[in-house]
Amino acid sequence: MKPLSPSRRRAIGLIVLLCLAAIWQLLSMIYPAEAQPGEPMIAGWQVIFTKTLLSLSDYWQGGLGVRSVAEGASRGYAAACLTLIVNSAITLARVLGGLAIGTLLGMIGGLAVSWSSWGRRIVNLPMQFLRTLPLLAMVPLFQLWFGTNLFGQIAFTAYGVSVIVFAGTVNAVANIPAIFIDNARSLGASQSQIYRSVILPGILPGMRSTILLALGTAWSAVLGAEYLGAQSGLGYIIVYAQQFAYLDRMFLVALVILVFAAVFYTLFDRATRKLLAWAPQTSRREIAR
Amino acid sequence: MSLTTMPVRDGGARRVTRALRFDPMAWLGILLLLLVWELAACLLPPAILPAPLGVVRRLCSEFLSAPDLSYFGLANASLLGSMTYTAENVLLAMIVGAAFAIPLGLVTARQELIRAVIDPVMMTVGTVPILILAPFLLIWFGVGRASAVLLVTFYVIVVVYVAAQRAAENIAPVFEDYAATLGASPRAVLRDILIPATIPEILGGLRIALAGAWGLEAVSELLGAQQGIGKIIEVLAGATDAQGIMAALLLLGLVATVCDGCAAWAIHRLTRWKSSTPVAGA
Amino acid sequence: MANAVQDIQIRHLSRRFTRADGQTVTALDDLSVTIKAGEFVCLVGPSGCGKTTLLQMLAGLLRQSSGEIEAQGKPVLRPGPERGVVFQKDSVFPWMRVIDNVEYGLKCRGVSKGERRERALHYLERVGLMQVAQAWPKELSGGMLKRVAIATVFANGAEILMLDEPFGALDYVTRHQLHDVLLDLWLDGEGGRRRTVIFVTHDVDEALILADRILVFHSGRMVEDLAVTLPKPRSADDLVLPELVNHRHRLLQHMGLIRPAAAKPGQ
Repeated sequence: MKPLSPSRRRAIGLIVLLCLAAIWQLLSMIYPAEAQPGEPMIAGWQVIFTKTLLSLSDYWQGGLGVRSVAEGASRGYAAACLTLIVNSAITLARVLGGLAIGTLLGMIGGLAVSWSSWGRRIVNLPMQFLRTLPLLAMVPLFQLWFGTNLFGQIAFTAYGVSVIVFAGTVNAVANIPAIFIDNARSLGASQSQIYRSVILPGILPGMRSTILLALGTAWSAVLGAEYLGAQSGLGYIIVYAQQFAYLDRMFLVALVILVFAAVFYTLFDRATRKLLAWAPQTSRREIAR
Repeated sequence: MSLTTMPVRDGGARRVTRALRFDPMAWLGILLLLLVWELAACLLPPAILPAPLGVVRRLCSEFLSAPDLSYFGLANASLLGSMTYTAENVLLAMIVGAAFAIPLGLVTARQELIRAVIDPVMMTVGTVPILILAPFLLIWFGVGRASAVLLVTFYVIVVVYVAAQRAAENIAPVFEDYAATLGASPRAVLRDILIPATIPEILGGLRIALAGAWGLEAVSELLGAQQGIGKIIEVLAGATDAQGIMAALLLLGLVATVCDGCAAWAIHRLTRWKSSTPVAGA
Repeated sequence: MANAVQDIQIRHLSRRFTRADGQTVTALDDLSVTIKAGEFVCLVGPSGCGKTTLLQMLAGLLRQSSGEIEAQGKPVLRPGPERGVVFQKDSVFPWMRVIDNVEYGLKCRGVSKGERRERALHYLERVGLMQVAQAWPKELSGGMLKRVAIATVFANGAEILMLDEPFGALDYVTRHQLHDVLLDLWLDGEGGRRRTVIFVTHDVDEALILADRILVFHSGRMVEDLAVTLPKPRSADDLVLPELVNHRHRLLQHMGLIRPAAAKPGQ
């Protein structure tokens, strides 16, 4: 069996995705049922980027010199695009804000607890429980605590991220080979010097996968919060449209989220890989022994 | 060359047993968590943060029957019954998802062309939270069991597919060569090499999928369902009943933790041959 | 006892690889040699000389670019139980207990439970591992894992045994203990018939202790065919005997380890 070259593989991937888009188009033509008059169940691409996009202007609430439909204006691309831009900005602010705060808190907490093995042993079980407690089921609790405003959603996202980062940090510190710490100690390093020169750089390779995992969690948390009670954001538009079975609008907004999530993932993946170019690849082959 | 002078290395085995045993310190940690909760409950109004004892009492009293919930249109509701419904859905999704994902992951690890076709789809789906599908499934399949189970199934497929594929890729080629030189047929290679060598990583993937499945199932029920622990939380959230919500969450968290512990134990039993089996934590 | 049909016949064997940059590399170039049945042959040479490539083709794990290999009168096309291999890396299956590993080849060939258990235990005893028959491989040291691999190929009854730098990663003492194990098993062949052993190594002393015949490779070609006549079993102590000293000097010369102008101290 000949291995495929990376460019070949990428080409096949692109063709597959294009085929899926074409199948969607085909389905829209052979299944023209409508959820509401003028709202197709499966909207072809020519509809999605014109009529569906236009209909998003229904969600524009006015301002910035563009009048809303509620104020009597007719649907327009300006209002539709503003809807997408503003709600994307809100959603991204929730994702990034929660990610940043949660990562910071989680790392600080994890490092603090790892200072002594006592701390690690004490937090182990509560940490396991908090991590296993299903995050998405806690949306109503956080809404009760913090309300359905931006702060509440960021707090929820930050909580979800910090639990993962906390556990990831504690594990990463525990997984630093003892020989590095012994070496630093034999060279005369103090505990705080070991922390700065061995532990902090030593956990970074392990943190990479943790941060990528936290990114996915942040998206899930924000989406969950927006599906359940938020009054703005891309997820909110999806559930709002769902109440009227506007499948084409839901589909368009979901596509936007998909693009954002994929771009974020790729950016994070590339950036962290570059930052960690020095780290030796952990040999997965070792597992076989 | 007498053997008695050669030490048999058993450090690995001993380490695992130690990890399985409970550390008294761990109980101290749980105690500390409860203490912080109790203290915070004293400072905050009970409508926001109820005290731990009250939550546990609520959990016990509504475990078998919760007549109060009938005001919200949930006749014959109980925490146990709702939890059972949720657990059934999760289990069903795990079985269906694993049945699809494991063979697919193993095959794509060896068949480049099939992999080039399936990988882009899985990777695209993998970067977006699966939760995005929930409103679509609710429209297509209604608020019954089907949409919740499908949502979780998709998630399980994505997670386990990657785990199975990676597991098959990580088998050192020397094992298959060695088996061939001993006279193993391709079927024997599948039975004796491919399957046993990939089991640990596949089980690890299933465990990760299970941990995520509870939350997705619950949120699917929150978005629209007639039963389940998520439905209970949704109803109680409408009544701003913090104690009730926390009792339901506590039950869900306990069940998830116990299931995760059982999965970890099962993995440990099935992979005793491995040099180190992570039992607690990833 | 020499039987031409049992010999390994290698005729005009070549193997070429295409490197990632498109260049063609000849790993083995037009080799013709006959290895007699029951012979203990060591393939020696610096890394990249083609000795491992030859072993892989003999095992049937790698196809030749041109030429023929015939073992026991049949062309070698694929791996098979009549030609056992001990690999450089640890190949003992970590998910099977030691005894199950030793039985594995016999199980694949449908040997009955009782018979294969008996055979496996016999060879485990010969390599000194009776006590750990029920252990997991992870509980064994590197040297013990090699003993398991040797017991497995001997228990499997292969007529031809191939070992690819099997003891390279072991310490000095363990390596010499394993030489003894291997020589004992080889000298005392089943039914009085010795098996053919092809042993790849880059350790000159190892070759001198083990081999009846040493084939020296350099850049894909066989450059020397040395017969070692000193009776076996030999040990590291015999390396000072004149025959081995001479052979050693010759081998080191081939590997470029003797400086042409440097006089030996004291001469």
